[in-house]
Amino acid sequence: MSDYWQFYLPTRIIAGPGTLQDLPEHILASEHRRVFLITDRVLRQNGIVDKVVSVLKGVEMAGIFDEVTPDSEVALVEKAARLAGETGADYLLAVGGGSCIDTAKAVNLVLSRGGNLRDYEGFGQINTPLGPMAAIPTTAGTGSEVTQYALILDKQNHYKITFLSPYLAPALAILDPELTISMPPGLTAATGMDALGHAVESFVSTSTGPLARGLATEACELIFRNLPRAVAAGDDLAARLAMLLASNLAGIAFSNALVGCAHALAHALGALREVPHGVAVGLMLPHSIRFNSRQEPDPYRELTCRLFGSTAGGEMLADMITRLLQECNLPYRLSQLGLAEDDLPAVAGSASVDGAMYTNPRLADAEDLLVILQSAY
Amino acid sequence: MGVFKDAEQLYQCIAGMMEICSEDQAMGGKIREAELVIRFVYSDPDSQITVDAKNPAPHGYFTVYRGENDLEPEVVMEMKADVAHRFWLGKVNLVSALTRGEMKARGPIPKIMKLLPAIKPAFAIYTRHLQNLGYQDLLA
Repeated sequence: MSDYWQFYLPTRIIAGPGTLQDLPEHILASEHRRVFLITDRVLRQNGIVDKVVSVLKGVEMAGIFDEVTPDSEVALVEKAARLAGETGADYLLAVGGGSCIDTAKAVNLVLSRGGNLRDYEGFGQINTPLGPMAAIPTTAGTGSEVTQYALILDKQNHYKITFLSPYLAPALAILDPELTISMPPGLTAATGMDALGHAVESFVSTSTGPLARGLATEACELIFRNLPRAVAAGDDLAARLAMLLASNLAGIAFSNALVGCAHALAHALGALREVPHGVAVGLMLPHSIRFNSRQEPDPYRELTCRLFGSTAGGEMLADMITRLLQECNLPYRLSQLGLAEDDLPAVAGSASVDGAMYTNPRLADAEDLLVILQSAY
Repeated sequence: MGVFKDAEQLYQCIAGMMEICSEDQAMGGKIREAELVIRFVYSDPDSQITVDAKNPAPHGYFTVYRGENDLEPEVVMEMKADVAHRFWLGKVNLVSALTRGEMKARGPIPKIMKLLPAIKPAFAIYTRHLQNLGYQDLLA
């Protein structure tokens, strides 16, 4: 663990079945009332958006933007910001998965500050509070409802622009498991593995600290106990709430401690071969753990001691995660995804310069990452 | 007071190290390929260095400019001079520093990240450069 760390959490979190009902009270308490809702078409069609709108009594609906895509891009954010501005909205509400929430964060930035989204690209470029925003996650994986990041695709230049500022974090997050029960088993499993990746990698990160470790440990426990249940029975509200909490805790942890090489490899697999992020994180996690723990065993021993009462460390943790992948019907070999072995060097090269590599507990270059990918093939 | 007593000493140490790197084929070549103009804005002491790998002068792989100038950087990095000093000694994790707010960056960060493996030899060059300048006290 680093001898210096910081921890920051600006978001009020309300969790529990039915907590959606608390939303209007909190919006009105913020002295804002013209709400602009940002979501995607699936959630509009399956009735989730109607359910949210129906509780907003005493609040004016300025508009609904339902065009968010899995990888939200700059033009879409600027379009939503323009529409929100035209409606006179003064409060943003994100309903959806990580892409909806990241889009709303970026819309909030443009709506509050004006100009073009690209003007704010970078780290620490937003130094004063933005307008109020609430996030209601309908998946349990990204933790975006509490993170200080927003990732938006730059289609022109083929990369995801990173925006980082504490002011991007929503003021309010509502974790209501009733809004996640319609999530299909595959998506439940994949997003849950993303959360597990956040938890494990923030625990062992070179930027970790005691608060992040505590949250990450709790998140891991919740995931190991509840992900198979949530996958098997989508209407198990207790398991759904546990997974929302796990995603949230892991989100807070990695927002402060960052992640490592499983995420770097997943980013590259997503960018180069369109492998869904959660699937890629889950698949790469055991192999990344084995690689890291051979040279840096202590943080993994610490984690397995906390989780399973054993100091077995990386090998044990990797085995447990592989079993979890199998139990959740997720792929655990890259070859299962239809990737050619010839694809792997490009993935390794791209991952080696990913920002996530710089807080990985073990230094790794493209050759090391290729070995990890080959072990996962 | 910070590590450097004034901007002149900072330029002598950090810009001087960068000038040495600009003639290093392995490192300079990779930085030149990025075709970036990067400005480093320091405080305590107030100073700035601009690295031009887009239109470098005929000698060297990139050109190092000391102080203010009219170049339009694609990336601007802001930090205290002490943070920069620790970074070039290899003691600061760039990503952690950016996340914690010790460094601020404007522009396409992935382009900077891609350069990090290339500039690793600069850490040793910086240490040697400070020794050659007789600034052993800065290495403590």
